[in-house]
Amino acid sequence: MGLKRQKKWKQKKKGKGKTTFYAYLYSAPSLILIGLVVVFPILYTGYISLTNMNVYHWFDFEIIGLGNYERALLLVDSGFLSALLATILWTVVNMVIQLVVAFVLASLLNIQSLKLRKFYKTLLMFPWAMPGYVSILLWKTGMFNSQFGLLNQWMEKLGLQAVRWLSSDVSAFICCTVVNLWLALPFMIMIMDGALQSIDKSYYESAILDGAGWFKRTIYITLPTIRPIIAPAVIITVFTTFKQFDVVYLLTQQAGAKTGSHFHTLLTYAYENAFITNNYGYSSAISIIIFALLLLFSWKFRLKEEP
Amino acid sequence: MKRLRKWTAWILVLAMLVPLVLTTAGCSGETQADDNRIVIWHDKEDAVAEALEAELARLVPDVEIVLEKKTSLTDSLKLSGNDPSAAPDLFIFAHDKIGVFAEMGILAPVTDFVSEETLSSYLDMTIDAVTYKDTIYQLPIYFETLLFMYNRRYMQDDEVPATTEELYAYMQENTGRGRYGFVEQHSTAYYSAAWIHGFGGSLISADGQPLLDSEEVRRALQYHLKFVELMPGETEYSTVNTLFIEGQADATIGGPWMVPSAREAGIDLGIAPMPTVDETGLKLSPYSGVQGVYVLNHAAQSKDETVRQVLEALSNPSVGVALAQASGCAPANTACYDDPAIAEDEMVQAMRETAEIATPMPNIPEMDVMWTVTGNLLSDVNLSGEDVDTAAAQAQEEALDLIAAMQ
Amino acid sequence: MRNRKKMRKRIGLVFLNLFFIALCFVTLIPILYALSVSFNAQNSLLSSDFSFLPEQFTLDNYREVLFGEDILVWFGNTAILAVSTVAISLAVAIPAAYCFSRRRFPGRMAVIRALVLLNSFPAVLSMFAVYRLLRPLGLINSRAGLILVYTGTMAVFSLWNMKGYFDTIPVELEEAARIDGASTFRLVRLIVLPLAKPSIIVTALMVLIYVWNEYIYATTFMTGEDKYTLAAGLYSLQATEMSGSWPVFAAASITVSLPVLSIFFLCQRHMVSGLTAGGVKG
Repeated sequence: MGLKRQKKWKQKKKGKGKTTFYAYLYSAPSLILIGLVVVFPILYTGYISLTNMNVYHWFDFEIIGLGNYERALLLVDSGFLSALLATILWTVVNMVIQLVVAFVLASLLNIQSLKLRKFYKTLLMFPWAMPGYVSILLWKTGMFNSQFGLLNQWMEKLGLQAVRWLSSDVSAFICCTVVNLWLALPFMIMIMDGALQSIDKSYYESAILDGAGWFKRTIYITLPTIRPIIAPAVIITVFTTFKQFDVVYLLTQQAGAKTGSHFHTLLTYAYENAFITNNYGYSSAISIIIFALLLLFSWKFRLKEEP
Repeated sequence: MKRLRKWTAWILVLAMLVPLVLTTAGCSGETQADDNRIVIWHDKEDAVAEALEAELARLVPDVEIVLEKKTSLTDSLKLSGNDPSAAPDLFIFAHDKIGVFAEMGILAPVTDFVSEETLSSYLDMTIDAVTYKDTIYQLPIYFETLLFMYNRRYMQDDEVPATTEELYAYMQENTGRGRYGFVEQHSTAYYSAAWIHGFGGSLISADGQPLLDSEEVRRALQYHLKFVELMPGETEYSTVNTLFIEGQADATIGGPWMVPSAREAGIDLGIAPMPTVDETGLKLSPYSGVQGVYVLNHAAQSKDETVRQVLEALSNPSVGVALAQASGCAPANTACYDDPAIAEDEMVQAMRETAEIATPMPNIPEMDVMWTVTGNLLSDVNLSGEDVDTAAAQAQEEALDLIAAMQ
Repeated sequence: MRNRKKMRKRIGLVFLNLFFIALCFVTLIPILYALSVSFNAQNSLLSSDFSFLPEQFTLDNYREVLFGEDILVWFGNTAILAVSTVAISLAVAIPAAYCFSRRRFPGRMAVIRALVLLNSFPAVLSMFAVYRLLRPLGLINSRAGLILVYTGTMAVFSLWNMKGYFDTIPVELEEAARIDGASTFRLVRLIVLPLAKPSIIVTALMVLIYVWNEYIYATTFMTGEDKYTLAAGLYSLQATEMSGSWPVFAAASITVSLPVLSIFFLCQRHMVSGLTAGGVKG
């Protein structure tokens, strides 16, 4: 190796080091924030899960090792497993419907001759503009309430029996799904819409010249192009759906307003079976276990993302 | 080019500094502990808060009182604990959290500030309610309990049921076609406890043993079922409240907080004693909640004298009278009842009478989990149609597990 | 022939419009419901005889919301929080997203993957730890504390969402400009940001809506009604069931949603990507 070449190589390496340094420097504020608000709580929860912090040892808690995990694993009984299954089903159903509906609606909204597009879009975004729990409350009392709810008023007008929408497991699941979709679709439509608009129209033109129909264009052009754009939003929505608490809890499980349904997601189950004990050590262990489950799933389904 | 890059770097440094600057701004904004300033958290209606504020301003004009409304009060306290920089000095809440906070070690006994003599004029029920492990942790101000209320337009005074069977007969006669003879939050622990107590049972023993599968509880649930069948399939507050206020239900068991809206809706409201359970001869005995002021340890130590003044002021009968007038609260201090305005208030008197038979909510920490477990048991039995015995056995086991998990 | 095609297109368009009108109506039923209740003079959300047109029209509930409650104060608090959070979020996320999209450096993919996974930790569960973090900093009951929590919570989404979009912008554009001697900063400002406008707006909106609707941290960390945000204030209105008046609550819900909705409407114009307008080949 000549001296010259070595020098050049060194320079290159130095350049690379510099790039890395600057990349991290520019990313630092963001990464520091994430470290503080996202990573630190996880580590702290991990630490608390090793202690006996509870009502009786609020200030004088000490590290007791893995005892909490041993007890937490005892919670992994049939109830926990069915909650886990229900959560998976819930996530899959919600995501599939969300993606399909959002894609179809966004595509329709992108038809050039639709002049009122902006108007429709704004109206469809309305559910997003309302605080989530307000919407849930509106649905619960305004729509599903078996005495006064709009649904039952309509049932009555149609001469049908009033239904207790939230009381059985299956219908509670469906109602929760409807509300969740109502809450989540605006965001998904918006993401899809943004992605569709970023597609270079000339692709389509040449495809049309080649005689490709709508279906073919969708499969070969639209989907591959929008995939990387929507991937972050979709993956984050998957997690949000998996850890959904408000919709299920407020609709069916709220203390003092239970409806008799046994539909639980992992989080509502953990809430009722651990968090209400005020035993922070034990609850933290459960949190970490749920988190580990989430990691396991995402690893299983390999979140592929273009490097 | 190099210069521009430097510039970018500077911008980034600035961006990083923003949080830091905000941090320091936050620090300097914090008020120093002022011995003459007492922060009180509460979660009460505006009418109660205003009356309290006015009374305190009159009684202790030298102390700066800050009444702060806190929505998730107990959750916040579990976070802030005894930290002077984040926690209040005093807080006003029902007595059922005494056990939790006392075990956490953040409460100071109120007997350090108020004499035995002062406390001797309080209703026995309220003092019992606020005593945990022989220590008094809360200075009662007023109490509330559920009342049997009826709409005189539909239920005449002589129709008011004296026993539960009479109530059932009345319900059978008057329920149907969108109308209800009687409604209550039937699958909610707080409300159903009245029935369980009416059978001589209770949710949890004084030493923290759940009693959900006891004979009494199961009998009460079984008996209660036929009433539930004649009530709507919803147990939440707004349904029951609206049915009564819109005149679609003749009678209800509800809290004093329903009274203002009922009066506003123009209902000729009657208040009657609780019916007696035919089988046992006991009256339905609802839970009573004693609302009062708690003292946090840090304030007890650092603001000893000021806290004493405030607590003394709060034990003044005029506070109870003012609150009773402002929103119909029943004072805990017997001296208040000498006031003619209170003596004439039908609702306050009814509440005082019910207080004689009411059961104070348990204040042990274990009770915290019983609300949820009992709620589940009730909805299983009443709404999902599960067998009482199986559901009760299951709930008992659940309660034992949860209580074990608290340690 | 051509006429017929035109005709078919027109009919299709009519159906499309009808479809969207129906869809919007169905979507908005709960909101129309709240709207009707809020304009209704009778005091109940749960009236058993409902019609979309209130029988006795009144604006009292809105008057009550605007002047009876502290809603204007809450609005101010929320606006301050929202603006600062959005500004800081974008300020920290754009450079980070650009670096993660354009630069190749060790640990890049690992960091991205880790971020997404870490973000899956349920926020409800981190409350306690976040409290422990803010207390020593003296940020409990201060706006700065909430801003810190909000920006941090949304940081992963912001970074990741924009990185995804930056990835789709052809590097060739930048290379051409670089040859012309533009610095990275100029490059980002003049080429990347305009092209990534839709993504930036979506991110900003997302952060804004999160802040607008978040109530758990706001009610737990802030004390006193004068410090509430809109969502927290509304939550407390609803939580005090004893005095809760449904029409006022409904009116408040509508009032709270309107600013977000108008911001959304204003943003739409800017959400068309530069890519569709220009003749850029990927």
